[in-house]
Amino acid sequence: MRLDSPEAWFCTLGEPLGQAEAADIAAYLAALGLAPRLPTLVVASWSQAAEIARTPAERWWNAEEAERARLERAVRLDPADREWLALTDTLHGAAAVAAARSGCADQGLIRAAAGAATYAAHQYRLARAAGAGDEHPFVRKYALFSGGRWPLGVYGDRFAIF
Amino acid sequence: MSAYPPVKTVAEFLDQPAEYQDAVRKIVRSHALNELYGAQVFDEPAIALAPTPYAKWLTCRVAMEEYHHHVRFKELADQIGVAPEALDPRHKRPLNIFEFPLKTWEEFCVIKMLGDLAEILQVEDLLHCSFVPLRNIARTTMPEEKFHAQFGADFCVDLVEAPESRARVQDAINRFYPEAPKFFGASGSKNNELYRKYGIKLRKNEEMRADYIARAKDIVGKLELKLPEIAVAA
Repeated sequence: MRLDSPEAWFCTLGEPLGQAEAADIAAYLAALGLAPRLPTLVVASWSQAAEIARTPAERWWNAEEAERARLERAVRLDPADREWLALTDTLHGAAAVAAARSGCADQGLIRAAAGAATYAAHQYRLARAAGAGDEHPFVRKYALFSGGRWPLGVYGDRFAIF
Repeated sequence: MSAYPPVKTVAEFLDQPAEYQDAVRKIVRSHALNELYGAQVFDEPAIALAPTPYAKWLTCRVAMEEYHHHVRFKELADQIGVAPEALDPRHKRPLNIFEFPLKTWEEFCVIKMLGDLAEILQVEDLLHCSFVPLRNIARTTMPEEKFHAQFGADFCVDLVEAPESRARVQDAINRFYPEAPKFFGASGSKNNELYRKYGIKLRKNEEMRADYIARAKDIVGKLELKLPEIAVAA
């Protein structure tokens, strides 16, 4: 797996949502079996993203995990693959650059952002390896990440995205 | 500072005495194997145990860093002629510390706080290693190991605020810690004597263990918790 434009990751954090992004969010939620018309909260700052992500979001997380488990019954990827680990370092670098631009120096939060992107990239490559198409929720979520966003998930009755 | 002259490259390594080569191979093999096993049995499963997306994502990043540590040591192991099966937990038994049955988030935080502290001491001892490629890996790895131990300590600070989770952290310490000092090997170890003879490591096992116990006591004391009493070999 290669990142086409690694510099684009985390580059539109906090910006107003575009129509294509709203469509990706609706399709992502629907494909996960969650309500596709949930209100969307566009998070404005790294500190707000941290505050939200530090609250439980089990229903959404479990919906993703059920799909990941289903895919992993057919496909198993090596987490210690050298190229994969290099990609995860690239994502960590992208998160660190974006955070620095906003004056955020919280190493834990930067690593959490990198971990979120890594998890999304892992889910994406699982989906693709299993032959999933563009409508798969993990492909939709990956599109949001690779377009510069950090989808934070469903908290209560809102979908949050940075 | 090591009295043994620096061995700057793998080519120079292959010109060293067989005893030196074997000693370095043992250390590199141990790190490569245990970094992999730790990521497999502790860090990756802990993503599911973490209570919030923030904690899950942070744990995911930490797991990737642990896998990367394994890869760094493995690449060096490959270059210096360690047999591939010696790096595979299916063929070579990892350290006892990894047999702890991880079931809760509190246990994972204690493992990072106290288990990664033990790893920090091991890596510290390689920062001035006579074999420069191994020294360089130690220096690259150290900041991440420190972050991982701090990650565990920081989450423990949050956990001890509530009485129920405070009791679970103390319980995890009581069950995990007694095995941790064994991580440093036997007192009077012949292997360790060779490591020091060749400037690969700096300290005796018993010196490292005493330092570990003192540091662990300090960290746990800051949480107003206690280490259980254990019998430590002299």
